Amino acid sequence: MTASTLASPGDTAAGPPESRRQRRKRERLQEQAAAIPVHLYGLRRGTVTLITVACVLFAIFTLVPVAWIIINSTKSQTGIFSSFAFWFSRPFDFFHNFALLFQNVDGNGTYFQWFGNTVLYAALGGGGATALAGFAGYGFARFRFRGSKAYFYVIVGALLVPVAAITLPLYLVYAKAHLINSIWGMILPSLVSPVGVYLMRTYVDLSVPRELIDAARIDGAGEARIFFRVALPLMVPGLMTVLLLSVVAVWNNYFLPLIIFTKNSLYPLTVGIGVWSQVAERSGGNSDLYPLVVMGGLVTIVPMIALFLVLQRYWRGGMLLGSIAN
Amino acid sequence: MSAVSMEALTKVYATGAKALDALDLQVAHGEFAVLVGPSGCGKTTALRMVAGLEDITSGVLRLEDRVVNGVSPRQRDVAMIFQNYALYPHLTVARNIGFSLENKKIPRAERDERVRAAASVLGLADLLGRKPGQLSGGQRQRVAMGRAIVREPAVFLMDEPLSNLDAKLRVQMRGEILRVHRRVGATTLYVTHDQTEAMTMGDRVAVLRSGRLEQYGTPRELYDRPASLFVASFIGSPAMNLYEAALEAAADQCVVVLGSQRLTLAPAGAERGGLGAYRGRKVIVGIRPEHLAAPGIEGAKPGIEGAAPGIEAAAGASLTVDVRLVEPLGSAQLVHFTIDAPEVREDPAEDTEQLAEGEIMDTPVANGIAVTGPRTPARAGSRITFGVDPGQLHFFDPDTREAIDTGR
Repeated sequence: MTASTLASPGDTAAGPPESRRQRRKRERLQEQAAAIPVHLYGLRRGTVTLITVACVLFAIFTLVPVAWIIINSTKSQTGIFSSFAFWFSRPFDFFHNFALLFQNVDGNGTYFQWFGNTVLYAALGGGGATALAGFAGYGFARFRFRGSKAYFYVIVGALLVPVAAITLPLYLVYAKAHLINSIWGMILPSLVSPVGVYLMRTYVDLSVPRELIDAARIDGAGEARIFFRVALPLMVPGLMTVLLLSVVAVWNNYFLPLIIFTKNSLYPLTVGIGVWSQVAERSGGNSDLYPLVVMGGLVTIVPMIALFLVLQRYWRGGMLLGSIAN
Repeated sequence: MSAVSMEALTKVYATGAKALDALDLQVAHGEFAVLVGPSGCGKTTALRMVAGLEDITSGVLRLEDRVVNGVSPRQRDVAMIFQNYALYPHLTVARNIGFSLENKKIPRAERDERVRAAASVLGLADLLGRKPGQLSGGQRQRVAMGRAIVREPAVFLMDEPLSNLDAKLRVQMRGEILRVHRRVGATTLYVTHDQTEAMTMGDRVAVLRSGRLEQYGTPRELYDRPASLFVASFIGSPAMNLYEAALEAAADQCVVVLGSQRLTLAPAGAERGGLGAYRGRKVIVGIRPEHLAAPGIEGAKPGIEGAAPGIEAAAGASLTVDVRLVEPLGSAQLVHFTIDAPEVREDPAEDTEQLAEGEIMDTPVANGIAVTGPRTPARAGSRITFGVDPGQLHFFDPDTREAIDTGR
């Protein structure tokens, strides 16, 4: 380490990149001005240090697998097993692995096909779940009908049932309904999102004022028009949250496709990569599939990160600005 | 034919709470009617029932002689301005104003024309492209009005439209609403809890309390001839002074005994109306603060501290009180005083069952307030004598709390 990186903020010793230091200092001061100073929190200095250390440790713990997968996606099969797991090794096979990913490997199915399946299931399942949650949440939040409370409590109750508990009954029902090896077997259960309904009901309660709906009614709008023209635009941030949650849930779903699909061509990424991993293990390291499993895992998480970055612009305040006084 | 007609309109909520109890109210064409009362009196409920946003438990509601009890809001031809404006935050001012026209599938050209016309009436022409978030409170209020007038509805409903504005803007918008009302000429039903707004704006004012109509009349009628103790104390600012008194029967005159003091009514006044029947009984007497004539004015006898003790209310019409506090307002002066008479409370701010029964305070000392000229020599702690015009006194039955007709 150089002396300049060790220099304290107040150090006047001329460090090499003067402008960068100044900028950092300015940013730090701005941040400090915007927040309550730590020493006013009423915590002892030791406590602050302890909490900071704990947070850093937890951050490292969370990021280790991500670092591992990025580092090992650049390695060859031998590199993965023979080199240090948290550092790069030669040869640099990142692009080779990436290209290989989209070819039919050993007749064990193609990543490309699985990727397409996953996108389809996530779009239809996650999108449909979001739409249904939007309708249902609005209905529960803004209409009173016979049994509306009871229905809502049933949905909240469904939040508590673990998916694994219903998988076997689901499988038995599917077998009777000819939904085994059907994409609808994957999509239909994904449409049901108790969390989404619950979130949307709460969101509508907070962000779509009753007065606005009353005003639209008096302005002569029908109920459908009120929903689509008045309520829906205000529900967008909530819907985007539900969309992200439900798409990620479908994207990462492993158990359900594992039991309902027996055809390789219907697999989503989770099951497909699982198959590769099993084949690689059974072959005892001879099948060259490990780099593809690693690379496949990395490529699988990229669209979710992209989705989050795209959707985050909807999570900003002020949607209701100016509508309602106070 | 009235534009709005409520007959025994009643609203009972599922919880059993009665928000409105057999309200009878007629609003004539082009009239500006104000519903006023303390919070929880049912005025907003009544308005929402006219709008169609609230079920009618019983009674008949007519708009233009058409019974509309079960008619949806969109088919009632009413426009409503909400307390918090309820603008569509994602639409521009122009789209906000034109939303109702869009719903009616009015062609774009005509729609634009009408939106522009409404906007120019309200001085919004330059703001049509903005979103509500970019407007000030007063501008938002105007957009809410524009949304109502663009439709040319049969009835305007306004639910405390000025309560979110600051005091200065409120006075300004008060004038603006009246200006628009005169220009458009539409029947208006206006809800407020502010008696000043009610008095200054309404052609006729309905005073509501606990879901019941207390009185419906012009502002002048409410002020001059309040039908009940509640109206008397609610209308007028500062509120009317109310005291328990006895009406003493003398040979040819009537004497109001107020604590240790006596006010003699002229014989004619004593006999007029129903007051004669109360001779020898208790009544509640009301004196408006502005009707207490300060010493030195209107010939009342100066009775400032230091005058002979036990100065009896000479000439039958003066009251001696102890000044507690003097609040100079610049143009006038509020003199807070105490008087040795039992006070009657009819506090409209606390509209509870307990008070509805009308509790008469036992304490022999009551508070009061007088509005005097700015230079009246009153000091806290001094004693002062006000002249009282017996013709300006109000009398109420202590049991029914209703006004006693004095033939005014």
